Amino acid sequence: MSIEIRNVSKIFNGFKAVNDVNLTVPSGELVALLGPSGSGKTTLLRIIAGLETPDQGSILFNGVDTTRRDVREREVGFVFQHYALFRHMTVYDNVAFGLTVKSKKNRPSKSEISDKVHRLLKLVQLEQLAKRYPSQLSGGQRQRVALARALAVEPQVLLLDEPFGALDAKVRQELRRWLRKLHDEIHVTSVFVTHDQDEALEVSDRIVVMNRGKIEQTGTPEEVYDSPANPFVYNFLGNVNLFHGRVHNGAAKIANISIDLPEYRQVPDSAAVAYVRPYDIEISRTRHSSDEIEANVRHIQGAGAVARFELERLDTLEVIEAELTKERYRELDLRAGDKVFIRPRNLRVFLGDYQI
Amino acid sequence: MNVPGEAKKIRRRSLESRGLTEPALVRWILTGSMLLFLALFLFVPLASVFAQALEKGLGVYFAAITEPDAISAIKLTLLAALISVPLNLLFGVAAAWAITKFDFKGKSLLITLIDIPFSVSPVIAGLVFVLIFGLQGWMGSWLQVHEIRILFAVPAIVLATIFVTFPFVARELIPLMQAQGKEEEEAALVLGASGFKIFYRVTLPNVKWGILYGVILCNARAMGEFGAVSVVSGHIRGATNTLPLYVEILYNEYNFAAAFAVASLLAFLALVTLALKSFAEWKVREQISVD
Repeated sequence: MSIEIRNVSKIFNGFKAVNDVNLTVPSGELVALLGPSGSGKTTLLRIIAGLETPDQGSILFNGVDTTRRDVREREVGFVFQHYALFRHMTVYDNVAFGLTVKSKKNRPSKSEISDKVHRLLKLVQLEQLAKRYPSQLSGGQRQRVALARALAVEPQVLLLDEPFGALDAKVRQELRRWLRKLHDEIHVTSVFVTHDQDEALEVSDRIVVMNRGKIEQTGTPEEVYDSPANPFVYNFLGNVNLFHGRVHNGAAKIANISIDLPEYRQVPDSAAVAYVRPYDIEISRTRHSSDEIEANVRHIQGAGAVARFELERLDTLEVIEAELTKERYRELDLRAGDKVFIRPRNLRVFLGDYQI
Repeated sequence: MNVPGEAKKIRRRSLESRGLTEPALVRWILTGSMLLFLALFLFVPLASVFAQALEKGLGVYFAAITEPDAISAIKLTLLAALISVPLNLLFGVAAAWAITKFDFKGKSLLITLIDIPFSVSPVIAGLVFVLIFGLQGWMGSWLQVHEIRILFAVPAIVLATIFVTFPFVARELIPLMQAQGKEEEEAALVLGASGFKIFYRVTLPNVKWGILYGVILCNARAMGEFGAVSVVSGHIRGATNTLPLYVEILYNEYNFAAAFAVASLLAFLALVTLALKSFAEWKVREQISVD
């Protein structure tokens, strides 16, 4: 089932939690709503579920307006941030709940319910724990019970609020992969909220970056990571270095580097900031051309797949982060305190004087 | 060989040296003064009630509590509790459910209103009923014309008891339900449960021990209420006397043995309440701690 969000706004006590948002989630996709806390992503999720009513705009499921439709009739599955398992019920009863509260007419028989619950518990790998209570489970197990409970009613849409937020790093990694696999198997349209960029990049088909109640960018993980639409997305997704400079009639001067920017031909003169990812910083021991920037190596962190450098520009004393492959790192044989020449590639220039 | 004892001593000394526990003298003084205080203000009075009640022998004791006036007082007390506790249970659960699970205008006003019986002196509460239902009151003449007796009769006693005890269940449930939040109810809602099913299958099981705790406190107060009931009862022996009022009458008549015998019933009730309360409290803690 596809979800369409049209001009949705929600105000809490004068604060615009969601501000005129438009978004379409195609059927069967797994979409991440990514943003810092207070960006309105959870509110938007709750509006889709029907747990909040929008002050403006409408929600369409498969093209049908469901804005005023009751939560119970929306056929959504919702996984809460803290799971919200029924604490006085066993795992089995938790998963069966959505089936046992159906009206007599639609309720499956006891044996059908039992079959289904066991099938779901098998899917989430918790068959042996059916008789346990939520308090006897680990965080990861509770999360999977919550998911099984949401899936029991065969929702058309699955909504997850910070599904891995309360788990430790290792369990998180496992569950992420597991959720991705699960989605590939059952293909239910899913939206999940996260503030963790790695999570969004790894799990989702598409990422919706939100900030202050608005959508900053929508795209595949590669799109938003490789070509961020604006400085906010650049900063929020991955580490980034800033180089301040000026744009003058379509030519930018950033440090010693001159770049042609035809799209800014109309701009007579403006401050500008170039964004460069740490792995797009070239480092050499000797000067090759005049546009390289002189810097000192302040700190090297050599553990892991790439070597990370903290460099200090000699002209502005600004700190620059850089990443080199292990081979390049060995080839250069750098030590803290060494003087180097750096050269940024793939600069993305935005007008204005944006500060982190 | 007293190895465990030695180990204990060594452990304590190391705790003391790290400043994590107090020296023995301080511990003894603190614990001792607390026990002395308890003995003086709780155990001695309680023991003296039972001692005085049994002073003239078991015969007098049982005669005092089986006298027709005493039986009538017990019956009236039970009746007042039997009516007011269920009503306040209903009100308390409804109020707590509304306050903790929904947002509406005037919520804080409602919370303040619930607290009024706690902040108003029971005597004033009684007087309010006199002003409403008394001969000179708002409804006095109309009630007289239609020959409805409220004041100085059972209805007024029940009304006064309800007024004084109505915050107990709500006050107990509101913090408990606030601590539990409304996520479980929302989860049930998304799963398709109707309002009644959510309440019956999710909310109620989560607060049942809290409800019991509130009911116990409410019942104890309903049976022990003196001030408000005293103003509206009229003190008619065998008709409008509750147990606390009856104790006062006997005492004022210098009938100490009988007064203490009846008082011992109330004291006994207090002890039973205390035991039940501790049990319910323990269960409530269990309910909150499961996150």
